[in-house]
Amino acid sequence: MNVIQDPASLQIIWSRLISITEEMFTVVWRTAFTPVVAIIQDHGCEVLDAEGNCLAHAPSSMPAFNLTMPNVARAVLERFPFRSIGPGDVFITNDPWLSAGHLPDICLIAPVFHRDRLVAFCGTIAHANDIGGSNDDRRVRSIFEEGLQIPLLKLYDAGERNETLYALIRANVRGAEEVLGDLEALVAADTMGARRVQALLVEYDLPDMTELSMAIQSRTESAARAGIAAIPDGVYHASVPFDAMGEPLTLTAAVHVQGSDLRVNYTGTSRQVERGGINATLAYTRAQTFYSLMCALTPHLPNNEGSLRPLAIEAPPGSILNCTHPAPVNMRLRSGWHLNTVLYRALAEALGDRVMAGSGFLGAMQARGRREDGALYNVPFFFGGGQGASLGRDGRAGYIYPSTAAGMSVEVFESRAPLMIRSKTLLPDSGGAGRWRGGPGQRVVVTTLPGWPDPVEILLTPDRLLCPAPGLLGGRPGSPTRVSLNGEPPAPDSTFYSDGYLTLTSDEDVLVWDHAGGGGYGDPGERDPDLLERDLAMRFIKLRPV
Amino acid sequence: MPDRYALGLDIGGTFTDFVLVDRERDQVISHKHLTTYPDPSLGALQGLDELMGLSSLHLADLDLIVHSTTLVTNAIIERRGERAGLLTTAGFVSLLDLGREQRYDAYDLFLEYPEPLIPTFLRREVHERTLADGSIHVRVRPEDVVTAAQELVEAGAQALAICFLHAYRNPENERAAAAAIRARFPQLPLSLSSEVAPVMGEWERLSTTVADAYVRRTVDEYVQRLASELAARGFGGRFSLMLSEGGATSPATARAFPIRLLESGPAAGVLAAAEIGRRRGLQDLLALDMGGTTAKASLVEEGAPRPARELEVARVHRFKPGSGLPIRIPSIELLEIGAGGGSIGWVDDLGLLRVGPRSAAAEPGPACYGLGGEEPTVTDADLLLGYLDPEFFLGGQMRLDVAAARQAVERLAHKLGLDVPACAAGICAVVNENMAAAARLHVIERGHDPRRFVLIASGGAGPCHALGVARLLGVRQVILPMGAGTLSSVGCLTAPLSFALDRTAVAPLEGLDWEAVEALLGAMEVEARGALAAAGAQEDRIDLHRSVDMRMVGQIHHIRVPLPHGRIGPHLRQPLVDAFHASYQRLFAVSQHAAPLEVVTWHVVARQPASPPAGRIVSRAGEEACKGRRRAYFAGAFVETPVYDRYTLQPGAVVSGPAIVEERESTALLHPGDYATVDHEGNLVVEVGE
Repeated sequence: MNVIQDPASLQIIWSRLISITEEMFTVVWRTAFTPVVAIIQDHGCEVLDAEGNCLAHAPSSMPAFNLTMPNVARAVLERFPFRSIGPGDVFITNDPWLSAGHLPDICLIAPVFHRDRLVAFCGTIAHANDIGGSNDDRRVRSIFEEGLQIPLLKLYDAGERNETLYALIRANVRGAEEVLGDLEALVAADTMGARRVQALLVEYDLPDMTELSMAIQSRTESAARAGIAAIPDGVYHASVPFDAMGEPLTLTAAVHVQGSDLRVNYTGTSRQVERGGINATLAYTRAQTFYSLMCALTPHLPNNEGSLRPLAIEAPPGSILNCTHPAPVNMRLRSGWHLNTVLYRALAEALGDRVMAGSGFLGAMQARGRREDGALYNVPFFFGGGQGASLGRDGRAGYIYPSTAAGMSVEVFESRAPLMIRSKTLLPDSGGAGRWRGGPGQRVVVTTLPGWPDPVEILLTPDRLLCPAPGLLGGRPGSPTRVSLNGEPPAPDSTFYSDGYLTLTSDEDVLVWDHAGGGGYGDPGERDPDLLERDLAMRFIKLRPV
Repeated sequence: MPDRYALGLDIGGTFTDFVLVDRERDQVISHKHLTTYPDPSLGALQGLDELMGLSSLHLADLDLIVHSTTLVTNAIIERRGERAGLLTTAGFVSLLDLGREQRYDAYDLFLEYPEPLIPTFLRREVHERTLADGSIHVRVRPEDVVTAAQELVEAGAQALAICFLHAYRNPENERAAAAAIRARFPQLPLSLSSEVAPVMGEWERLSTTVADAYVRRTVDEYVQRLASELAARGFGGRFSLMLSEGGATSPATARAFPIRLLESGPAAGVLAAAEIGRRRGLQDLLALDMGGTTAKASLVEEGAPRPARELEVARVHRFKPGSGLPIRIPSIELLEIGAGGGSIGWVDDLGLLRVGPRSAAAEPGPACYGLGGEEPTVTDADLLLGYLDPEFFLGGQMRLDVAAARQAVERLAHKLGLDVPACAAGICAVVNENMAAAARLHVIERGHDPRRFVLIASGGAGPCHALGVARLLGVRQVILPMGAGTLSSVGCLTAPLSFALDRTAVAPLEGLDWEAVEALLGAMEVEARGALAAAGAQEDRIDLHRSVDMRMVGQIHHIRVPLPHGRIGPHLRQPLVDAFHASYQRLFAVSQHAAPLEVVTWHVVARQPASPPAGRIVSRAGEEACKGRRRAYFAGAFVETPVYDRYTLQPGAVVSGPAIVEERESTALLHPGDYATVDHEGNLVVEVGE
């Protein structure tokens, strides 16, 4: 029995591949210069085979990155003559239609050679702190306003840095040295990953990754197919409204299940929008769709190309889920994040124990202004809405989903921005009622620092202002997000709707943000009375329902 | 001779271990007793009586007892603490439910989080507010606080946690609240966040303060009971307790900061490893303790155990970081891995062999324990591969059931299409890789190359798996200490008396108010020295160590930089800048000298070094060390392997792998090519074969 056939050895080699990606992941955040990578860890790392199939990714990698890197590796193989790909090359792109869906996410892919043959790729994607272009996300009308577009190019050619490209990037982004420093972190990770893959092949005396790749993919594919085969054949439909600040839109999905194949069709989804980059490219839609499906179908499988083989996706060109160039895309998560809601709604009937009701997502605001000493500040504050309920489980409060980012500390925020968070507390009665209750939303109350002389501009990106998180199978929706200034909702002509910001002019101004609760699951009439008592005791609800 | 008779006492989950040292005659006697529940002090006292019988001593003869215990960890994991209440800043009562708001697994929709230690009905908001710069925006009103405390006491609170926003910066409001409550309820124990964990970050500080209040009564009663029982039995020497930071302290200080006992036992084990390394002149060590359920790995860097930034207790999901309660206390850093003798082998959805993190623990235990366990564990695999002797487990105190082990592994082997030995070898290989993978990443993340480290293995299963793990890490030398199964009790006796303090005071290094720093550090020094003096330290033997966390302005991660001895003042600026950049370069392999720096948290540790015992367990000279041979499995085949009795191996003896070396609490396994020598303290020092 060779090492690939032996279920113990294969497990060890496979987990070694995953360790390599973990090590790459660590190299990136430890050597990165900007907080978005070093702290929020908005990056991903993976090892791909010589054909560009994903073999393993770091467990903490952002799912959308894992799922788009293979596109880039395959594009390298298609667009570059095979003999022009050699050791020491590093390819780069931020093409949203090829890679992760918006320009700040830069992908670097390095080929790995062993015994003079291309045997694998190591890939990383990280969110650049700046990519040039407009800062007014909600006003832009095309990708040309959103920053520097980098087509698939060589950043390193046989170990030589492409100085022309470096100069071009340096000239086009804010804080260029930090952004380029982060790029070097990605190069370091890819290079280290390549060395580790080579060492693995030597250790196990493998000529290349072919046999290993086939074993990994076929075992994963079988397990993934078993997950799908458990769903009765049929077409499962759902349609949910969603909004990205003031504009009601629709996502429609038909999930076709036949045997062990699953295909999602998004016909009926809203058209792409002209202004404000909430459009998703097909590459991003595919990634968010497959991610949502994996969570429901195969949450404990290590992911690779094998898990994707049974899955397919279609979205009408020109829709908000398959936007066409040059549509603006920077805030694509404001549509892409809603895909789990529509997919789980469609699958609820067949897979009631594996899905959850709609969630309240992420409340995000950014305080911007100038300090007394003239220095600019730009400080983010993140917090979570309520989680959707699921079979046997109430939703959690403060649940930043579908991301893995953390909430912001009040003490850290107040030490960096001239604002005071007056309270940050669970909102009673905001979680959707149901046999299992949706997670409560939160109320965040913000004022300027007592005595602060200057106005403070707050950029807000709420979600679910018009369309609350829907419940499932009889569960009620959570409460929607509400924003008010001094007790009043923003006027219809407010900058809040047009540009996404509100201004606190003195410490008398009070911004109240009630962020959405999660949807409930099942008929509220069937809720266990003991759980209702507990909800009262925990102040999740104020009164017993009659 | 001062402290002639010293006793190390470690209460673990399964066993209570004792090590008695006679410094004058350079002798060590060790002993074990089963840990008793619910009151572990009973087993400790029984075992102590037995040990006194064995050694023909009386408790009155002992000069020193140093004690480590899992009491606090268990109280939190098993929710056996006392009902505690919380007073917090108005507007933030939900923080205990919200936590960090972070998902720790991207693909799992149904993540579990630990229940808060204090339920909603035992929390009250107080109208008060301190701002980020430390200025007080709203003062606490004593009558509000007393009313709230009254309600909580009536609701059954046995202790109160007080945690206000920005109290790490200015503790005035917390202190005013405490004073008002103490005037009304003088007996009610209080935990103040500004004392328990005065660091920035409200969630971590709250979580730590609440845990402190939650275990306060438990620790209080336990320590008092044990101390008075010892006194009743005639003990008149010093009694101290091991803290997570790797130092010992007086019962009074332990009762004042109960949460600091959290990693008491594991910290003692790391200290013992560091001491073994020190005597051999080794600076950089990887200590690996593999027990029944988990393995714990720790780094010793330049001779000192590495301090932790944050601990996490009571992880509810497969030991995953993020699934537990964060605890910010001075502590030795410990990496917990779900790999132990009881870890269960299973087949995943991919048809591959996996091991752990689920464990058969002590009950029902591995199949071979014969206590009803049917699932195949690492210990079962070790037994079937001939590494363990069924007749000599725990020195023969417990017989292992080979047939039960075979049945359990056979079922698994069948599913995988393997024969039993191959399956058992697979279990060992996978569990070794699990430990190596976790340790490798841990070491690399801290800027080191694992191949440079010497591995010191302990715990019941450690010596059996250490050489396998060493090969996977590329480590060249492994030390298997004598008494590897009872290392924590030995570590107790190497512990310095120590007390550490942290204070966050974020400020740019440029233009730093050095007078304020001097005042802050001075106050911390007085407090730390006071705690040490109370533990019986001599003023002239106290060492002070100062350090500061620094970062580039705007960064969040920080690096701890040592502060030179002597006067505090602006002359320290340049040495701090240089030390920061040197560390940064080493950790991240990049440097960015232009960025301005800031200081974040100041650390002061007061220590009185211990005089570690040099004694060793007496070996039985003159007997044949090789007590037989048995068939053990290496590289795909069973080979005749010599078995040695650890207690008859003399200093200077040489053992070549393959070989098995048995002692009472553990069995060491040398692979073919390994080459071990016994040093003058009885440690097996193994050069790892190719």
